[in-house]
Amino acid sequence: MKGFRWLASAVVVIAMVVLTPIPALAQKTGGTLVMIVQPEPPSLASYQNTSAPIGQVSAKIYDGLLEYGFDFKPQPSLAKSWTVSPDGKTITFKLQEGVKFHDGKPFTSADVQFTYMNVLKKVHPRGPITFRDLEAVETPDPLTAVFRFKEAAPYAMVALSGYESPILPKHVFESGDLMNHPNANKPIGTGPFKFVDWEKGQYIRLDRNPDYWRKGQPYLDRIVMRFIADAGTRTAAMEKQEAHIAAFSAIPGVEVNRLKAMPAIDVTTKGYEMVSPLVLIELNTTKKPLDNQKVRQALSYAIDRKAIIDTVFFGFGKPATGPISSNFEANGFYTNDVRNYAAPNAVEMANKLLDEAGYPRKADGTRFEIVHDIIPYGEDWRRMGELIVQQLGKVGIKTTLRYEDVPTWLRRIYTNYDFEFNSNFLFTLPDPVLGVHRTYWSKNVRPGAPFSNSARLTLPKVDQLLEAATVEPDQAKRAKLYQDFQKAVVDEAPVIWVTELQFTTVTSKKLKDYLVSPLGVYTSFNRAWLE
Amino acid sequence: MLTRLRFIARRLALAIPTVLFIVVANFVLLHLAPGDAAEVLAGEAGSATPEMVARLRTKFGLDQPYPVQLARYVGNTLTFDLGYSQRHGMSVAELIGKRLPATLLLMGTTIVIAVGVGVLLGVLAARGLNTWRDHLISVLALLSYATPLFWAGLMLIVLFAIKLDWLPTSGMETVAAFYEGPKRIADIARHLVLPAVTLSLFYLALYTRLMRAAMLEQADMDYVTTARAKGLDERSVVVHHIVPNALLPVVTMAGVQIGALLGGSVIVETVFAWPGLGQLAFDSLFARDLNLLLGIFFICAILVVIANLFVDLVYTWLDPRIELG
Repeated sequence: MKGFRWLASAVVVIAMVVLTPIPALAQKTGGTLVMIVQPEPPSLASYQNTSAPIGQVSAKIYDGLLEYGFDFKPQPSLAKSWTVSPDGKTITFKLQEGVKFHDGKPFTSADVQFTYMNVLKKVHPRGPITFRDLEAVETPDPLTAVFRFKEAAPYAMVALSGYESPILPKHVFESGDLMNHPNANKPIGTGPFKFVDWEKGQYIRLDRNPDYWRKGQPYLDRIVMRFIADAGTRTAAMEKQEAHIAAFSAIPGVEVNRLKAMPAIDVTTKGYEMVSPLVLIELNTTKKPLDNQKVRQALSYAIDRKAIIDTVFFGFGKPATGPISSNFEANGFYTNDVRNYAAPNAVEMANKLLDEAGYPRKADGTRFEIVHDIIPYGEDWRRMGELIVQQLGKVGIKTTLRYEDVPTWLRRIYTNYDFEFNSNFLFTLPDPVLGVHRTYWSKNVRPGAPFSNSARLTLPKVDQLLEAATVEPDQAKRAKLYQDFQKAVVDEAPVIWVTELQFTTVTSKKLKDYLVSPLGVYTSFNRAWLE
Repeated sequence: MLTRLRFIARRLALAIPTVLFIVVANFVLLHLAPGDAAEVLAGEAGSATPEMVARLRTKFGLDQPYPVQLARYVGNTLTFDLGYSQRHGMSVAELIGKRLPATLLLMGTTIVIAVGVGVLLGVLAARGLNTWRDHLISVLALLSYATPLFWAGLMLIVLFAIKLDWLPTSGMETVAAFYEGPKRIADIARHLVLPAVTLSLFYLALYTRLMRAAMLEQADMDYVTTARAKGLDERSVVVHHIVPNALLPVVTMAGVQIGALLGGSVIVETVFAWPGLGQLAFDSLFARDLNLLLGIFFICAILVVIANLFVDLVYTWLDPRIELG
């Protein structure tokens, strides 16, 4: 009888729990978001340095003309609406009314003109490429900005976010040296958060902008970005809930899988679709034996992409098939109808090609030796190098690893071209013009420019396709050009495409609505809130 | 008193050529490293044109020949103008000024813990020679001496911050709280515990062993026999006679190790995200921010000179037979 009573009350309790209606989630206002940013940004001048830590901070302070949905389609931000002329050469933006900068001065089309013509076109690292055909920004009235391009620039339309093209206040930045401006590290924007303080080595503090133009937003009172150099300590801080979010794989892969199992923690790989990092190995196509296409193809066959993803990146990644990420499947740019280096008989193919190329196995079983330069951005790359030594060993190539610090490595690869086989990862960005062309276009063989065409590929066919795709306003025709480009360049194999890297974002489950765009943490967090 | 002041003045005057030599040597050595700050910035930016790198180089003054850069740098240093960190967009003096207090706090606390506890354990071990107490202390000292700093730090975090939840994992204060006044001091003290203990461990072991050996050596000296013969009780013999003499090697070692302590603090500062000079130096090396790095070395050289001067003064206080001159 006692047992029955117990059971009955248990049933009642369960029924109550199940039947109680779950209240609709309403955003709570207030609270301080603690965000781990790794490493500490060198500055906050996102208009002249696009490195990831800067973008994570600056995008909260500066708005752009547009924001983007997960379909890469533009959405309104400082531009309320826009029209593109049929030839793609004119874009007219209507701007939001009543927007004020953090210093109280109004935002107008003059600020847009100044930002694009005087700042982004001149000092932004990618600006001279993205906006090279932008001839003028006209300002018929304070709330209209008309962009005039020499040629259609379809890629520019995806580069107008607050991260990529922050709108600066003209009245602040027009005086003084733009390369060394007093407000570089005291940014004034129109965004949902105002810059308050930067305690070097410790934190950056941003406070809610009460006059933000989206009424009622943002929901958070404050964002504090913390810098913790040690990966183990970063993990501990997330585990102890001292911080709410750590993006761009600030938490190492081995720990992510452990944290994922914790009830208070969420892990996602979404929010990097407009970054699309690609792991690749650059081959020096001017040096023997890598000047031989067959040898390069053989090396590409010899790399076991799946093994690298599973062991080095703890399962975070997808085998790469070519220079364009499969994130571009949606707009038709991506194709996997290319030479398949991950074929089941890949090792066999590699051996066959090396024999054909005139590098048979010698008595000791080896064919030739190469040096593998490792990108000096952490342990993962060193481990990948060690795995590659084994994989190349299977086809008779003896590989030596070389690990240097960042400045030494940059100079070796991109200025002196004194390398054979170099691992790297590149952000291929929201459009191939911005992130892909640099590696394959012959005009990007530019000594001294980091992350340019270090393989020194010069192939007229590739150049023609890339140049045509740059100015093609029709989306379908552009997609066709890029598909042809992929087929050509994958066959040429100036680079070994290894994986589409997946960055992880580790968050506290208390943090809601921060992930609203393919730009992930490069957005303003205007809708983010804490439970 | 006058001799003492004269001594200090002379030592400081002698320090000038030393520091100057350090400045020049550092400059030459650092410029041997390939790559420069402009390239690193351009690399971080993800994409940049060669024109932009050239423009950065001109702006940073890197396009000048080395001898010109060196002469300019030494000239500026002599007037205590440490230059400008292009990377941080701040003057080097300001950057160092912001970080120096954190380093001094960490170093000061570490020295107090390491010397204080080390001396105490050394005395206890020596007084209980070959008893369980001596063995226990020796084993502990050996363990903490042999444990790598970064590992010890991480283990302390796991134990005290995560498992027991007594102390914060990292940082110098609870940044989201923005405490003020006494609350802030208490908060900083809580954050100081783990890094200071971690950094102390290694040195503590060293001083324990040094103190123990010195105590044993002094205990056999004639003056100790004399003191006993005089009828002093054991406690007075130890406290007034043996310990001050045994302290001398420990003080010498501590003075020498101020420089090494700065090096060790790089690791501890990294593990605990302690915003001190060590981490700044580490970061600026990999960014080739040479102005900043040279500035930090300059300040460290001065710190070491001052610390050693202080040690010499402590000698005369511990052992009046030592004369300044």
